[in-house]
Amino acid sequence: MQDTLFKPARISVGKLVAGFALLLVLLMLFGVTQTYAQSVRAPGNAVNLDDGIEDGPSNALGDDSQSDFWRNFRGGDPNDIKQMISALPEGAVMTTTGEHWRLIRENYIRKYAGWFPLGVIGILLLYHLIKGKMRIPGGYSGNTLPRFNINQRVAHWFMAGVFIILGITGLIILLGRPLIAPYLGKEVNSILTSASMQGHNLFGPLFILALLWMFFKFVRGNFFQIVDLKWIFKLGGFFGGHVSSSQFNFGEKTWFWIVILVGIVMSVTGILLLFPWLVDDLRWLQLSTILHAGGAILLISVLFGHIYVGTVGMEGSLDSMLKGQVDENWAKAHHDLWYEEVTGKSATESADKEGIS
Amino acid sequence: MTFLQIVEGPLFYFAAAVFVLAAAWRVFGLIRMGRKRDISPPKGSAAAGFVKGNLRHFIPRGMFARRTWIHIIGGYSFHIGLFVLFFFGAFHIDFIKQYLGISWTPLPRWGFILVSEIAFAGLIVLWVRRISDPVMRLISDWDDHIGTWLTFLVMLTGCLALQQSHDVLRGIHMLFVDIWLIYFPFSRLMHAFTFFLSRGHTGATYGRKGMNP
Repeated sequence: MQDTLFKPARISVGKLVAGFALLLVLLMLFGVTQTYAQSVRAPGNAVNLDDGIEDGPSNALGDDSQSDFWRNFRGGDPNDIKQMISALPEGAVMTTTGEHWRLIRENYIRKYAGWFPLGVIGILLLYHLIKGKMRIPGGYSGNTLPRFNINQRVAHWFMAGVFIILGITGLIILLGRPLIAPYLGKEVNSILTSASMQGHNLFGPLFILALLWMFFKFVRGNFFQIVDLKWIFKLGGFFGGHVSSSQFNFGEKTWFWIVILVGIVMSVTGILLLFPWLVDDLRWLQLSTILHAGGAILLISVLFGHIYVGTVGMEGSLDSMLKGQVDENWAKAHHDLWYEEVTGKSATESADKEGIS
Repeated sequence: MTFLQIVEGPLFYFAAAVFVLAAAWRVFGLIRMGRKRDISPPKGSAAAGFVKGNLRHFIPRGMFARRTWIHIIGGYSFHIGLFVLFFFGAFHIDFIKQYLGISWTPLPRWGFILVSEIAFAGLIVLWVRRISDPVMRLISDWDDHIGTWLTFLVMLTGCLALQQSHDVLRGIHMLFVDIWLIYFPFSRLMHAFTFFLSRGHTGATYGRKGMNP
C-alpha cells in the first residue's frame, strides 16, 4: 500500500536530457543577450576617464573627391589617350585592365558564347523542318564530273579533323566552369580542362598548317565575282528559284574567307597565348583571349551551316568531298557556270533536254 | 586497387604477354611457312635481293612519287614520329626503366611536342586519304580503320595526359595502350614486324631471277 502511495514518478532519461538541454539553451541565450546588452549600454556606474589619447587630426577625409583620387590611382589621367595605350598609364599606381578583361570574359563571352552555335543549330533545324532536304532537280543522272582532286580532299578533311579536336577542347576550356562544373563536379571539370588544354595546345600548330594548305588548295576560284550579287539577292536559292554560280557560290566563298581571315586571327592570337613571353604587355594577351574566343565561336557557328549544306541539307554535296566527283545534274543545278566551263555544254539546254527545271 | 594500378598492373602484364607471344607466333609462323623450292638455276643472289627489296621500297619509284607524295610524307611523318615518341619520350623511358631497369637520354619536352605534332599530322593525313580516295576506301576494311583509330586514341590520350596532374588521364592512356597491345598481333598493325618479310620475299624472288626488285 505504502509502495502504491509513494510510488516515485517515472521520468524517462530522454525527457530528462531534453529538459536539461532546453534549460541550457535558455541560459546561453540569456547570457548572450546580456553580453550584447552590456556592450551597447554603459553600466550605470560608468565614468569617463582621461585615457591620455589625444584627438586625431580633424578633417581626416579631406576635401578632395575620393572618386577622382581613386580614378587617378588606378588609371592616371583618364583624358590622356596616349596613357590608355601605354603599358601602365603615367602616374597610375595600379592597372585595372585585368579586371575589365575578366568582366568581359565572365559577363559576355562565357555568358553568351554557347548561345550562338545553339542558335545556328536551331535555325538550321527549323529550316530543315520547313523546307526539307534540297534534292537534285531531275535526280541523279549517273554521269559525274571531277570536282575536287585528292590533294584538295585530303587538305579539307585534315582541316576538318584538326578543327573538330580544337573546337571540342576549346569549348571545354571556355565553358567548362559554367557548364560542366555545376553538373558533373569540379573534379571532372578539372580533369577535362587539363586534358583539353594539352590537346588544344598540341593541335593548335596543326591548325596553322591546315590553314596554309587549305588556302593554297582552294584560293583559286574563291574570289568574289559580279555573279555572286545574284546569289545574294536570291538568298542563295534556299527559299526557291535557280541561282547561277561558278565553281564556288557566294556562300562557299564567304565561308572560305571567314576560315582564312578568322583563322589568321586565331593563329596569331593562339601563338601569343601559347608563347606569352613574345609580348611584354599583358594587355595583348588579354586581347588575344577575347579575340580567340570570339573567333572560335564565329567559326564553330558558321561551321554548322557548312556541315548542314554539305551533308543532310543538300543531296549530292558530300560526294564532292568523299569521292571527288559530283553528279552532272547537281552541277547544273548549283554550279551551272562551272558546269559550262568544264564541259563546254550549256547547262540550260542540257537541263531542258533532260527535263530539269 | 585503383584504376591506374589495374591498367598498369595486371591488365598491362596480360596485354604485354598477349602482344609478345601472339606477335612472335605469327612471325615464326610466316617464316616457318617457307616457300616452294625454286628448281630453276639462279641468275642472281636471293639474299642480296632480300636486302635490296627492303631498302628500295623505302623510296618511291619516280613515276609514282608525284602521285603519292601525300602518302609518302604522311607515312614517314607518322611512322618516324611514332617511333621517336615511343622510344624517346621521357615518360616512356621512365616507364620502361620501371619494368626493365634500362634507360637512355630522352627528348626535351619541346622536342616531344614537336614530334607529336608531326606524328599526329601524318596519321590524320593517312586516314583522311584512306576515306577520300575511292580506291583506298574500297580496299580498306574495318581492321584498317580500327587499327588507325586505336593508334590515334593511344597517342591522343597520351598527349591529353601530358600535364601529369590527374591519374585518371594516365589511366585512360594506359587502358588504350593495353587494348592496342592485345589487338596488335591479330590485325594489320602486325605490318610493323612483317613488312620486312614481305618486301624481302619479293626482293629475294626477283633477285634470284637476276632482276631488280
